[in-house]
Order: sequence, then C-alpha cells, then structure tokens
Amino acid sequence: MSDAESHAFDADMRRANRKKAVEGRSVIFKIKRCDGPGKPSRWESFKVPVEQGGNVISSLKWIAANPITTEGTKTTPVVWDSGCLEEVCGACTMVINGRVRQSCSCLIDEYAPLEGDAITLEPMSKFPVIRDLWVDRARLFHNLTRVKAWVPIDGTYNMGAGPKETPEHQQMRYALSECMSCGCCLDACPQFTKVEDEEKWDTSFIGAHAISQARLFNEHGTGKLLKGDRYEELAGAGGVSDCGNAQNCVKVCPKGIPLTESIGAVGRGTTVHAIKQFFQGKE
Amino acid sequence: MQKHHFLLRRLHSLTGIVPVGVFLIMHLTTNSTIAWGGLNSRAHGDGWIDRSIATFQHEVEFINNMPLLLLIEITLWASIGFHSILGVVYAMSGRPNNADYKYGGNARYTLQRLTGYFGIFFIFYHVATLRWGWDWLPGAAKWSHEHAASTLAHALQGSTEQFTTTGLFVSIFYFIGVSALVFHFANGLWTAAITWGLTISRKAQQRWGFACAGLGAVLMIMAWVSVVGFATLDYEQARGVEEAMKLDSLPIDSGSHTETAAVEQTDIDG
Amino acid sequence: MADEKRVIVVGGGLAGLAASVRIAEAGVPVDLFSMVPVKRSHSVCAQGGINACNEVARQQGYSEYQHFDETLIGGDFLNDQHPVLEMANWAPKIIDLLDRMGVPFNRSSEGFRDLRLFGGSLFKRTHFAGATTGQQLLYALDEQTRRFASEGKVNMMEFWEFLYPITEGEGEDKRCVGIVAQDMRTMQIRSFRADAVVMATGGCGLVFGKSTNSIICTGGAASRCYQAGAWYGNPEMIQVHPTAIPGADKCRLMSESARGEGGRVWVPRKKGDTRKPTDIPENERYYILEERYPKYGNLVPRDIATREIFDVCVNEGMGINGGNQVYLDLTHKDPEYLTRKLGGILDIYEKFVGDDPRYTPMRIFPAVHYSMGGLWTTYTPGDYQPEQPGTEHKPGNPIPIDAQPGHGLTIGAHNNAMTNITGLYAFGEVNFAYHGATRLGANALLSCIFDGLCNGVSVVNYVREGVDTPASELDQSIFDQAQQAEQAKHDKLMASVNTGKGDQSLNPYQIGQEMGEVMNAASTVVKTGPGLEKCLAKLDELRERFSRVELGDGAMWTNQSLSYARSVGDMLILAEAIAKAGLLREESRGSHYRTDFPERDDERFWKTSVAKFNEETGKSDIEFIEVKAGLVKLRPRNYGKVDSGTNKEKIPPKQVAQANA
Repeated sequence: MSDAESHAFDADMRRANRKKAVEGRSVIFKIKRCDGPGKPSRWESFKVPVEQGGNVISSLKWIAANPITTEGTKTTPVVWDSGCLEEVCGACTMVINGRVRQSCSCLIDEYAPLEGDAITLEPMSKFPVIRDLWVDRARLFHNLTRVKAWVPIDGTYNMGAGPKETPEHQQMRYALSECMSCGCCLDACPQFTKVEDEEKWDTSFIGAHAISQARLFNEHGTGKLLKGDRYEELAGAGGVSDCGNAQNCVKVCPKGIPLTESIGAVGRGTTVHAIKQFFQGKE
Repeated sequence: MQKHHFLLRRLHSLTGIVPVGVFLIMHLTTNSTIAWGGLNSRAHGDGWIDRSIATFQHEVEFINNMPLLLLIEITLWASIGFHSILGVVYAMSGRPNNADYKYGGNARYTLQRLTGYFGIFFIFYHVATLRWGWDWLPGAAKWSHEHAASTLAHALQGSTEQFTTTGLFVSIFYFIGVSALVFHFANGLWTAAITWGLTISRKAQQRWGFACAGLGAVLMIMAWVSVVGFATLDYEQARGVEEAMKLDSLPIDSGSHTETAAVEQTDIDG
Repeated sequence: MADEKRVIVVGGGLAGLAASVRIAEAGVPVDLFSMVPVKRSHSVCAQGGINACNEVARQQGYSEYQHFDETLIGGDFLNDQHPVLEMANWAPKIIDLLDRMGVPFNRSSEGFRDLRLFGGSLFKRTHFAGATTGQQLLYALDEQTRRFASEGKVNMMEFWEFLYPITEGEGEDKRCVGIVAQDMRTMQIRSFRADAVVMATGGCGLVFGKSTNSIICTGGAASRCYQAGAWYGNPEMIQVHPTAIPGADKCRLMSESARGEGGRVWVPRKKGDTRKPTDIPENERYYILEERYPKYGNLVPRDIATREIFDVCVNEGMGINGGNQVYLDLTHKDPEYLTRKLGGILDIYEKFVGDDPRYTPMRIFPAVHYSMGGLWTTYTPGDYQPEQPGTEHKPGNPIPIDAQPGHGLTIGAHNNAMTNITGLYAFGEVNFAYHGATRLGANALLSCIFDGLCNGVSVVNYVREGVDTPASELDQSIFDQAQQAEQAKHDKLMASVNTGKGDQSLNPYQIGQEMGEVMNAASTVVKTGPGLEKCLAKLDELRERFSRVELGDGAMWTNQSLSYARSVGDMLILAEAIAKAGLLREESRGSHYRTDFPERDDERFWKTSVAKFNEETGKSDIEFIEVKAGLVKLRPRNYGKVDSGTNKEKIPPKQVAQANA
C-alpha cells in the first residue's frame, strides 16, 4: 500500500467510525501507568463517558476529576504532558492503540465509536518515562544542539534584512520549519532506540527530526555557514548514515514534513562533504 | 569504529553493490543459462536442454579460465565478509516494530535485515556444501567444474539417481535463499540511492523504486528458473553432455586443462 | 561565579526568549525558567502575523507613527503612549532581525517579504509565515536561545515552576533578588538568587475555563507576583474572539476569513430545534448578523459579532440545542472553492470536530483569547515630548516625529517595563502597557519581542549600574525564609490528600471548572453590575471552598494535581481583581462592555485601573490612575458609521475578509 493509499485508508476508516459513533456511550481507557523512573508499570482501566467532540485530552481531564478504575478502586489522576491542544506545540504526544500521535487531535468518535470500545494509552516508547504518560524528551532537544540547528547571526542589533529568497524556496523551508519537535518520527523509527545514558546520546542515532532541521538551516543563506559542522556531526556515529530507510517517520509525522527527502538531501550533503574533505584534506 | 563511522557505513553500502551485487547478477545470469541456454545455437548438443547444459558448462569454463581469478575471489570473499559482519552489527542496532506500524517501507526494512541474516546462512551453506565439500551436510555434492550442471542437479535433487526428500528440502531451501538474496540486493540498491543522496525527492525515490523493483523482478525470475532448472535436470543427461564436451576439448590442450581442473581451490562455484 | 550578577527570566515564550537572548548577548548570565520546554510555549499558537511599517506601505503614505496611532485608537486610548511609540518605531527593525534569524516569512515573487492586510489599518503592514507566524517566530528565538545555552550563557531550567518572587526591603525600597521555584518532576522546592527577574509568563486565559489559550496559561505566575506586591494594570481588559471552535477540552480559533469567504452565522428560529442543520429549511433559520446588521452582515467587526452571538445564545437562549453555539455555515459554497481558499482552517475543524465544514455547518462560539491587562509597569519617556498632543494622523501627512530609537522611551533606562517592585520586570502579554482596551491583530507578537529586545537592555543596565549589593552577597536567610514559606504552602496542600473525605465540591478540578464558568458568564463579552457582583460572591464561595481543597494525588514525584490546585488558588485571586475592576469601571471601552454603562466615559475612566493586593483582606484594592498619554490627543474611537449606535470598532469588510487569511 502506498503512502497516499494508507493515509486515505486511515482517514476513511476514521470517518466511517465517526458516522457510527453512538451518543451517550462510555468507552474504556486502558492506560499504562508508572509511578516514576525505575518503578514497575501497570495497566489501569477507566470507564469514561464520551462528551460531544471528546478527545483523549478531555477524557484524561475527566479521569483526573474522577480517578476511579473500572474495578472501583480509587487511584491517582493520570499524569500526562500537554500544552496548546491544537496540535502545534507537540507536547501531548503519546502512543494510542499502539501508534504514536498527538492526543489532542485524537477524537474518541474516530477510535472508539461504540459503547464499551477500548482505547489504550501508553507513554512514548523511545524516551524515559517520568510518570505515567509523561516522558522526558530532553534528548530530542539535545539533538538540535548536536546539529547546530540555528542561524549564526552576529547579534540581535539592527543590521538590515536577511537574505532574499524565492517564494518556492520559502515554501520549502516553511514546510521543514513546521516541525514541532514532538518526536513521532523517532518513536515510530525502528532504528531510533531508547537511550537513557546521556553520555551515549551523542553517538546514538539522531533520527529524522534533527536531520531535517539540519537541512532547514543548511538551506538558509546565513545558516549554511555552519553546513560543514552539521555534516561532520551527521557523518559521525549516530548520524544520517545510521538511517535504515524504513520511512515510518514520514508516515507518522503529524505535520506532513518531507522527512525522507531531508534524509536524502543530507545523505547527499555528507557524501559531497566527505569527498571534498578527502581531496582538500582536513586538519 | 567511531572514528571511521562514515567510511565504514559507506563501504558497507558500496560493497553490497560492487562487487557483491555485481557478482550476484553475473552468478544468476550464468546459472539461469540452464533454462535459456538452449537459445545458444552454437552450443554442443541437439535439444534445448542439451544446449542449455552445454552453455552453462561453457560459462563455467569461461569463469574458471578468467585471469587473476584468485584475486577476484579474494576480493569477493572479503567483500561478502565485510558486508555481512557490519550488516549484522548494524541490523542488531534496530528494533523492528512492524506489528504497530504496518507500512510497506517498514516491512521492507525488517525484511532487509531478515534476508541479510538468512542470506549469510544460505551463502555459508552453499559454499560449504558445494565448495568445501562438507558432505555431512544434506545437499552436499562434490563440485567439479567439468561437471557443473550435473553436480548441481545432484545437490538439489539429493542424489544422482532420483529426487529424494532431502532433495526437496534442499531445493526449497535454495529457492528461499536465492529469493532472499535477490530481494536484499534490489531493496539495498533502492536504499543506497537515498543513503548516498542520489534520490532526494519523493518522486525520485519512487521512480528509482520502480527501477529497482524491475531489476529485482528480472533477477528473481533468473534465480527461480535456475533453481527449478537444476532441480528438475536429468542427471545422466547432463553428465552425458558434459562428458561429450570434455572429450571434444581434450585434443586441444589436454595437459594444462587437466591440471587446472585438479586444482579445485581456485575454482569459482558455478 | 559567586559575585557574578545574574538575571532570571521566567517564561520561555517570545518575550522570555527575546529577553534571554538580548541579556545573554550583553554578557549577563541568564537562568531561564519554564514550565515546558520553551519550544512548546503558548506563542506557538499565534497565527496571523506581526505588524510593522515597511517600505511599500511607507511609499503609500504609511509610517511607524501611523502604526503607533492605530494601536492607540485600537486600544481605545487606554495604552501607555510612550512605549507604544517606541514599539512601532522598532517594528521594522525587529522584522529585519527575525528575517536574519531565518524566520520563513512568506515572499513576493521577487523575493521580498510578502505582506497582508489586517484589522485596524488601511495599509498592508502585516508580515506573516504561513498560518503559523507565532510558531515560526518562537522557533527562531528558541534556536538562538539554544545557541546561547550551548555556549553556557543561558542556563535552561525547563520543567521548573515559578512559585514566588523573593524580595528584600519594604515599600519604595522593595527590590526583587530572586525567585522560589519547584522542579515539576522531583517536586524539589528551592530558591534562586538573581539581581533582576523578568516575568514573561503570558496571559491568564484559564481563569475563564476554556479559552483559546494553552493549558499552561493560568496567569498563576502573574498572580503570585501580584500577591507579592506587584500591581496589576487593567485586569478587566480581556479580548474575546468571536469565532472559536468550542471543544471538549479547549476552544480553538476559527479564522475570520471563513466569514470573509461568505460564511453565514445563524441559529434555528425555533428554540431547541433538534433537527440536523441541513434539515432546517432556509426560512426557519435566523441569520443573526445579517438581520441585525443588514449593511455589513456577517462582516461586522469582531467585537460586535462577539456580542451578538453571545446575546443570542446567553440572553435569548437560542443557541443550537439551547447551548452556547451558533452555526457558521459555508455549505452553500462549492466544496472545491472552499478547499482552495480555506483548506487549512477547514481541515483543522474537521480534524478536531470530526465534521467536514464543506457539508456540515460549523458550530462556533466566541472564546477568551488575550489579556490586555497584566502586571503594571513603568518607564522613562524618550525625547519626543510635544507641547500639544497630536491629533488624528492622516496617511501622507507629515509625521510629527521620525522613527529613530529613543523618541518613545529612553533606551536602557533602568525602569523600562519594570513593575513597582524594583528589579522585577514584566515583558510580553503579562505587561499591561501596550494594548489598552483592545489589542489589534498581529500586534501581540510585536509587543513580546519588542519588550525582550528593547527592555532587555534596561535589565542589563539595571543589573550592571543599579544594583549596589549583588544578590549573591545577600544574607542566605532571606532566601531560606522565602523557600520555607513556599514549602509550607506546598506541605499544606499535600497534607490535604489524606484528610480528604472525597467531597467532590473540594476537588480542585471542580473548583477550577466552576471558576471558569462564572468568569466566562460574568466577565467577558457583556458585563453588568449585578452580574459582576454575583460573580464576586461566587468567587468568595470558591475561595472558601479552596481553603479546604482536597488533593487527589499524594505522590512526591511529578504531582500535576498539586501544581494545578496551586494555580487554581492563584487564579481565584486574579479572577477577583478582574471581576472587581470590571465592576468599578462604569463605562464601555474597547473589549470592556457594560450594558448598564454602554458609553465611553473619558471624564471618569480615561484611566488605568490598578489592582493592588491587600494582604489583610486577601482581596484587591482597585485604584484608577492617569493613563500616561501626552503624545496623541484623545478622540472618539470611530472606524466609520456604525448602525448599532455604539462607538465600537468598525473595520471595512474588505479587510475583515483578508484578516487572518
């Protein structure tokens, strides 16, 4: 099944579910819980009445106000990360029915249209759990530092406008710049694995997210001054050549960012960079 | 390993194509002559099958007489070894998740690794049985480049007389083994283009995907007809053609030819 | 390190990041505290764009001065005028800087930055990056901050919650010397020393329950400063956007361009009609805006649309199924046309509501969007001090003053954007100064970055020149006391877990929800004296209940219930100030609309309301002080003839159509 077909299939299935959604139903949330790092995980189930237009966030809020499991045991409110609730900040990412996505845009009608249907919630699998559904994604931001994902401006004082660019080029950069660092591409990547030891972050696979950001800054008139540094980093251990081309990243990206194109572009960049280095010699 | 990370990664990718991939193409081309060698009107024999046997035999002789064969072989073995060892290391670093993410690309990712593991095992078996003569293994047959087709018929059929149960298993094993290697090569060729940065846009990746799938399909057919061809080949008929060819060539240069034939270590498995 | 002077910035949105970058760049180390990774701050939600005079507009007669003038009339003259002048003058330079930082501003075919029209102006002066300008600006500053962090100049303290400012001295001499904060993961509470503290903590949308704000926008941090003695300016000025998508968890903005492309607002004529909207025949639909405003129809200005929708639902009970919703209908338009013109926002609606607006009318309702009010701040005016304040500025007329820096504010003066507590600054949405009684679209991003860049210099100068005894040399007891006080509050809340008898009325989530409901009903679109009095009474009840609050989670690790409960307490205190100032402002001005006082009353209320926290009563004392004006003369706020007879904002329909496109 091609990308477009599988997306269309998912969308069709969700639309069909919406149509058969029963009003006034309750659904079961099976939530993987963990009290903190190093503590064992457990599953708890909650029966949650579905509000009109309810999503996973509104359901978790309901659970917070009524933290009683299906067995009738009183428990603590579930801990989870969230922010804008408009799928633009990336905070509320979690694994829903086995697949990573934002929970704010996850409508109950699409996932559990009938009375008693179940939805499972798990924390992201590639980042250390802080508590329940909340994970520590510090590595994701660390990876941005690895590739120097910034434009090296001289300073914040007035020095005139930035470089001109064509609308087509702007559109290309904009598409990459919509990345909200949610981590979906990493969680779904078979090659990106959980690394708890911070010492090893710099040599572990960096993932599509930072590779694509490196490309974004290489495409900026001033940003490309650090191109060499970025290619050095991405040619090293955990760099772009560790990519296994499963291409799950581009499928799960909520913003439709052309991540696999970025991987190809950075692959070319590192190849050319390496050849140049070989013939020019490096210190 | 850290310091030369990039170089190793790129060499790993490169060796998969040159020389290993190129060798695979040559090897399958040669082997599949057992099915289409009948086209060769100059070949020894009258019928289609005879000419196929003869063409195959001729190809094997040709390879066997290539200059610097030892060097070619060493390069090849080194490349396969390098590609295999690094491949296993790299493959071990991933955690397949096909149950949750049922995408085609993801399936190919995992298949690439599984076919890699299986391919190593298959190549080892293939060489051990036909080359090193580990005859305690099922499907072992003492290789003789003078009796190329018949040896393979023997190996795939389990005996020189009839098609045995062992032969059935060996044939199936070969069928899966060559399929795995062909997939591994075609898919590897597709991913290599992204790795090296030849294909960037989705469109380009798609187009190159079609090209690789096309190549893979052709190789796959060649691989299958080879296996089927040898598995169904009449041993005696092949033996007969090979003996006839040997007699034909004897008067020309008997001395050196026999000598070469005796030095089996420099053979390349047909 | 010990004697090095440091600055703490609280909040990692546009204002906080701009400040951190500017201060760190000057060589003063910054500790940046944020409850979320800064890239996830609420600034990401801004869509439309950022205003600035530009060369094209300039050659058509526009100027920075005109931008300044527009902002004042937009804010119904409740803005402090000097900082607004300085902000408008800086705006083009800020755009240039953002451009250099790599913000992918939309481009013209020649490669220049593209512009769009926005409310409150006749000139194209809004720069934009797709429909996510705020996100793009935030990311640019996030990247620069990361760069400084990688060089050790900014110390990132993410997932730390600001609890209280630490002050020393009393009255006039009171100065801020640090903060107490809590690690949201380990729950550790500790004090941090700083020679200046910049609050850049945004708005308080959550006081109103569901708003267009992120769930972190509680206003808790501002409330804590307010309780510590910082004044709070114009608390009653809250902007409500007319078309938002009501959701089970929050309200998401539905751009005005939907109406611009022909969207019609209606409700069923029959109260409580339960038929599907598509089954209701034309003559049984009540097209609210078209019938009430035949001339402008659905394209009446925002605040009027907001009020009418509110009126139909709340006062007349004619909302869909009796609820607070009306239809915004595009189904009469060709679906393909809609996809081409409005694809992006229609997809958002479909994604979150589940209905396709091409075939089913959207359900929308006004929602709280922005807080013009915030911590009260002061400044040193610049060198533009006209003898007579200017009259209405007409495009093309000679400008009274050029756009050089320093005309509005004295750049680098220690007290710019400083609260009444020395060394405690307020930047961005939490600074009350810029937007008066209504904010113009696309001015918010500007004010945030301007505060950080311009007034960041003031922070640096204050720390370098104005601080005699560095915080690092102060006696530890000051910090220990502050920390212990917070620890005690924390422990008290935690102790409530075990005493709980399971009384739902003492559940913090329940109290928070009731607060949102009462504040939304009484203190947003349409306010009345009695309504606000009732609201204040309800807030009293909620505060009493909150004093006996029962937490549901006793964990000493990543306890979100605790954090939420604490912010509910702080929001209740802020809510009281908002409602009380609204009650005392007996006039209608900008977004503040009182049915019992429908006219603007400059005589009594051309004044800034200032809330001061009374420690004895635990409530606010509201004072009205002179607005800092003198640059532009007060004039009626009139965008053209208005049918309803009010003097409210009137934007020509063509612009409304393009605003938020």
